[in-house]
Amino acid sequence: PTMRSAYLLLIPALLLLLALPVSRGRYNDDFDDGEDLADFDDNDFAEFEDMNDDPAAEAETAPPPRVSPSSQPEEDEDEDEATVELEDGQDGFEDSETQDQDIYSKYDQEEFEGIGDMEKTGHSMKDPLIIHTVPAHLQNSWESYYMEILMVTGLLAYIMNYIIGKNKNSRLAQAWFNSHRELLESNFALVGDDGTSKEAVSTGKLNQENEHIYNLWCSGRVCCEGMLIQLKFLKRQDLLNVLARMMRPACDQVQIKVTLNDEDMDTFVFAIGTKKAMARLQKEMQDLSEFCGDKPKSGAKYGLPDSLAILSEMGEVTDGVMDNKMVHYITNHADKIESIHFSDQFSGPKVMQEEGQPLKLPETKKTLLFTFNVPGMGNTSPKDMDTLLPLMNMVIYSIDKVKKLRLNREGKQKADRNRARVEENFLKQTHAQRQEAAQTRREEKKRAEKERIMNEEDPDRQRRLEEAAQRREQKKIEKKQMKMKQIKVKAM
Amino acid sequence: MSSNNMADPRRQNKILRYKPPSTETNPTLEDPTPDYMNLLGMLGMIFSMCGLMLKLKWCAWIAVYCSFISFANSRSSEDTKQMMSSFMLSISAVVMSYLQNPQPMSPPW
Repeated sequence: PTMRSAYLLLIPALLLLLALPVSRGRYNDDFDDGEDLADFDDNDFAEFEDMNDDPAAEAETAPPPRVSPSSQPEEDEDEDEATVELEDGQDGFEDSETQDQDIYSKYDQEEFEGIGDMEKTGHSMKDPLIIHTVPAHLQNSWESYYMEILMVTGLLAYIMNYIIGKNKNSRLAQAWFNSHRELLESNFALVGDDGTSKEAVSTGKLNQENEHIYNLWCSGRVCCEGMLIQLKFLKRQDLLNVLARMMRPACDQVQIKVTLNDEDMDTFVFAIGTKKAMARLQKEMQDLSEFCGDKPKSGAKYGLPDSLAILSEMGEVTDGVMDNKMVHYITNHADKIESIHFSDQFSGPKVMQEEGQPLKLPETKKTLLFTFNVPGMGNTSPKDMDTLLPLMNMVIYSIDKVKKLRLNREGKQKADRNRARVEENFLKQTHAQRQEAAQTRREEKKRAEKERIMNEEDPDRQRRLEEAAQRREQKKIEKKQMKMKQIKVKAM
Repeated sequence: MSSNNMADPRRQNKILRYKPPSTETNPTLEDPTPDYMNLLGMLGMIFSMCGLMLKLKWCAWIAVYCSFISFANSRSSEDTKQMMSSFMLSISAVVMSYLQNPQPMSPPW
């Protein structure tokens, strides 16, 4: 019965054993079985080093013929590789038994003491099979480096995506420019400028800011100072971004900012765009939050689709901007319009005021802003860029229109009142801070003067300066008292 | 188009040179990724130092990935020298980890 259980254990051991030379055939040659045996198992075979060479040699002749027929089924038995000890002694049960017996019969009973013991121990050894796995660092196969191979593959994939994404963005940008070049060159004297060249000469090409943003500056036209076009593509060169976009689709955008001279535009603030964009802009933009306080309205009155909303300073402005042609443009291309923002008080998004910041009204500039979405939702092809051309026509048309659009008297009065109101609010808010600032300035002046007096060498001059300062102080106090008296009189 | 009827709208004398937009207004308009990219760059450096000092192979590999990602997301205004230095540091971390210990990397599970 012990032999039967040992037999059952030996079948998988045999299979593993056969797999071992298949996968690491070369290794066997390098391996000195006898020595390793001595290392691995010193309780049974250590003392019989010499003797085991013969059975080792005989055992090895047995496995090779058996390797070829059964090598195919045992392809991946690398996990549990048997030790040499098994290979040496437990190779084929019947054969090893007969081998053992042969070997033992060779030796003279007298010459070798304890041979009988060895037989017995040989039998008992067959029961507890200790299958060691060869540690990973001793295996000399490529498969054990699978983590590294994975990492390198990942890096290669990232690099390939970088190159492909960069090229795609570049092609899209070029396609956009090719389709818009004619229109721009017929409208602007300077098309393309990076600000570095000495002469104001058209570079005639886009200015690449990085792998996904391209700029174009156009200038030299009536009714405007200049136009900055930014092609903001998706970050196709970054694999993480590509994967993130699979969850949350986004689209490429074209942002156009037209800056105007003072005479090119009357005073009004107006915006139209998708409902989401309008809600966001109303919160973020300084001028929209101050001048267009009402919630975004629908443009159905003018025949605009429901997806768009309007923010306007006053009804007259909307009527003025939404003429037939604009309505026509917007309705036809509503899917590509993210936001359109006309403002004479444009100063960018609201700046977070910190305590003690200098308190002037932010600088404003008369600006027209357009944000267009490229169709395709990320999967754009260069051909899609042609569909943006009518929108550029709309931009040019808007520039000319804004120049001609003038508010009537009532509208102008309202607009002026609005602006005065905003300025007053601002001044009130910052009144306390400005007072503090003025106070500190006055103190600084006094201190500086005192220092001057102290530093004055000549005692006479010192006295004179002191007296002058005192006189000035007196005058100031008197003036204040006069003012208070006047106010009291007025109040009465 | 109406522009064909009008005279040529171009005016050579009204040309204004391009001025790169000031950085004060821009950060608010741009998306918040620049902050993340700075963090990622720092993280890459930290990981590569960990990998070098503590001889952790996976730290070094993560550092390589971090430096690649921050390179892909960088803006042209950023220093290329910093990009290159973080890249070189992460590569050297990987190489040193393997020179000191040629064993394959064991997965954490």
